[in-house]
Amino acid sequence: MNNKMTKIIGIDLGTTNSCVAVMEGGKPKVIPTSEGENLIPSVVEPVKNLVGRVAKRQMVLNPENTIYSIKRLMGRKITDEQVEKTQKMVGYKIKAGKNDMAVVEIEGKEYTPQEISAKILQKAKKDAEAYLGEKITEAVITVPAYFNDAQRQATKQAGEISGLEVKRIINEPTASSLAYGLEKKKAETIAVYDLGGGTFDISILELGDGVYEVKATNGDTFLGGDDFDQRVIEWIVAEFKKENGIDLTTDKQAMQRIRDAAEKAKVELSSSKETEINQPFITQGKSGQPLHLTMKLSRAKLEELVDDLIDKTMKPVEACLKDAKLDPKKIDQVILVGGQTRMPKVEEKVKQYFGKEPNKSVNPDEVVAVGAAVQAGVLAGDVKDILLLDVTPLTLGVETLGSVSTALIERNATIPTSKSQVFSTAADNQPQVEINVLQGERPMAADNKSLGRFILDGIPPAQRGVPQIEVSFDIDANGILNVTAKDKGTGKEQSITIKGSTGLSDEEVDKMTKEAEKHAEEDKLKKELVEARNQADTLVFTAEKTLKDAGDKADKKDKDEVEEEIKRVKELLKQEDLTKEKIEEATKSLSEKLQKVGAAMYQEKGKESPPASGENSKDKEKKKTGKKGDKEDKGKAEEGEVVE
Amino acid sequence: MIKIMTKKIKEKEFKLKVEDLTNKWKRALADYANLEKRVGQEKSDFVKYANACLIDKLLGVLDDLERAEAHLKSEGLSLALSQFRSVLKTEGVEEIKVEGENFDPEKMDCSEMVKGAKNKVIKVVQKGYFLNQKILRPAKVKVGSPSKV
Repeated sequence: MNNKMTKIIGIDLGTTNSCVAVMEGGKPKVIPTSEGENLIPSVVEPVKNLVGRVAKRQMVLNPENTIYSIKRLMGRKITDEQVEKTQKMVGYKIKAGKNDMAVVEIEGKEYTPQEISAKILQKAKKDAEAYLGEKITEAVITVPAYFNDAQRQATKQAGEISGLEVKRIINEPTASSLAYGLEKKKAETIAVYDLGGGTFDISILELGDGVYEVKATNGDTFLGGDDFDQRVIEWIVAEFKKENGIDLTTDKQAMQRIRDAAEKAKVELSSSKETEINQPFITQGKSGQPLHLTMKLSRAKLEELVDDLIDKTMKPVEACLKDAKLDPKKIDQVILVGGQTRMPKVEEKVKQYFGKEPNKSVNPDEVVAVGAAVQAGVLAGDVKDILLLDVTPLTLGVETLGSVSTALIERNATIPTSKSQVFSTAADNQPQVEINVLQGERPMAADNKSLGRFILDGIPPAQRGVPQIEVSFDIDANGILNVTAKDKGTGKEQSITIKGSTGLSDEEVDKMTKEAEKHAEEDKLKKELVEARNQADTLVFTAEKTLKDAGDKADKKDKDEVEEEIKRVKELLKQEDLTKEKIEEATKSLSEKLQKVGAAMYQEKGKESPPASGENSKDKEKKKTGKKGDKEDKGKAEEGEVVE
Repeated sequence: MIKIMTKKIKEKEFKLKVEDLTNKWKRALADYANLEKRVGQEKSDFVKYANACLIDKLLGVLDDLERAEAHLKSEGLSLALSQFRSVLKTEGVEEIKVEGENFDPEKMDCSEMVKGAKNKVIKVVQKGYFLNQKILRPAKVKVGSPSKV
């Protein structure tokens, strides 16, 4: 039997950035690099053996030896149009290698695109191994849907050179669909709109019997977020020239700052309507005085600046749909991929065109890697049919003293799970406890749903708070709830089985959650009032006991005062319409008077009968609050007793 | 005979099923154990580096204040900046010393090539900083090239 437990990683080998992800506990997880980032810049310096962020930092220093956008050369011949365009862009030398395939030449040595890509994959592998703490030998790698056989083969070779067995090469749009689990939604046609840093791709996929087929692809290999940044940069420079008569393009350092500021502003405008671009001391004026760059950029203005670029993406979209012989409204699902799709205007245009809300909940920079991880998981056998664990949608608990709802299992806890808590009795010699199983978010028991009740009896006579009743909640993988109450003293137990505690419809869960939110404030007050009452009750009980125990040790005058206070509090608690403040005031007063008696008792040597415990009773079960009184001598307060 | 065959087949299926479930269970436990280890590490890293994002933003402001300091000869501003730097120091922030050093992409980002000694840092364009000995922001530098005009 194949006992392989090794993980297969999913790698998005991108033109500008690469990303790695893996399935863990049935969920995809993006693996951070050794630098702590989620993306690896696809930049390589093969002589010094630098990859990623570090290689990028010395690009300016070393343009002939620093290779980026190698994906543009993968599996292509030297005569390819893409290769020619790339040569015009980059600082390193491209030439014809074996069979006229495009290769790069660094310090007289030839490197195939596979060898360069392998270095990126090697870093991905190394970082994944460091993060997961295990050896990685297999991967799923993604490629654009339009990649031909030679390009796919080259990608596979790159994997092999890096020491990874490539279990599968999958298309990037397919990976995106897997990330959203669209095969579970039985979506038939899917449009993937991928606008990254340097390239734009549109793909139409058809899903049938769990198999994805690429119907058509189109795009613009030289259109991306970088172009959007460029528009903002040009605007800033133009505005500054208008105001100050100085051309900043001649100042390299100023341009660096503007480039960074422009990208930052663009990103901010995806969540704000306006942003400020603020670069003090950007340059010097004609008379040597410092000049500052301050301007405001609104979202509307940004949209104006890039409108034609967004429109430029729609032409390949139209062409693609024409190829697929489909009407935009016939597309079942639309997916947004690539960082630039975060821009609200881009999303709006896509939504308008297809007439539906696009899928964008997965991080658009990571969605392809996530999808590759999902595929990797399926191949590893981890995730045969993506085993999903359920969650319990609403909090489960029991009713405790004061008709309060005490939670045992919080909502959204993954099941199967179990939780226990020990409770006690609320009154002296209480012979039984009633367990009222509640479901809901409200703090008061009456406002939650009672799933069931049962009684555990046969509790031997004891002071309140002494018996130990362990209440256990256990939910199995099917959502069946078993509640058991066991008297730890006698070993006697009783239980109840409740089916369908997780079987609420989404609407019902939603409604109950919203109700809880709506009433949160008043519920909080109600609960506080109940707690104040409980505390007052407990204090009265303690006070009465203290007086009894004190006997003649305490001053008669002090004892009389305490009795007065006890009477006052008792009368007060009989009232219906009380506020927390009133109760607390009375409690405080009693507590102060009680201290005097307590102090007197401590002055006499020796303590008397074992300390009183627990709270007062009105209901069948009690909740230990575990709070200690913060004044020292409060009669004989025991741990767990609430004295204030 | 057929009854025995069926029984044997059922047994075999059953055995495979048990093996499959055991593996899945082990996998789940392993993932959980790994998660625990990672959470422990992440927690300890979090304490150390929780402020990284905030401090990075503040460094941007510090850059501008230092630009102001260079232009305005104000004692008050210098004192305030000295205090700011002192606060950052107590948070574990340390400037990366790069002047005159050889270019090192681990700590530096080359923004421009200028005339000067080969591969040496000629000018610091933006200071770099460590946070608890880890690079928070690399130094942006101009690097020398003898052939540059």
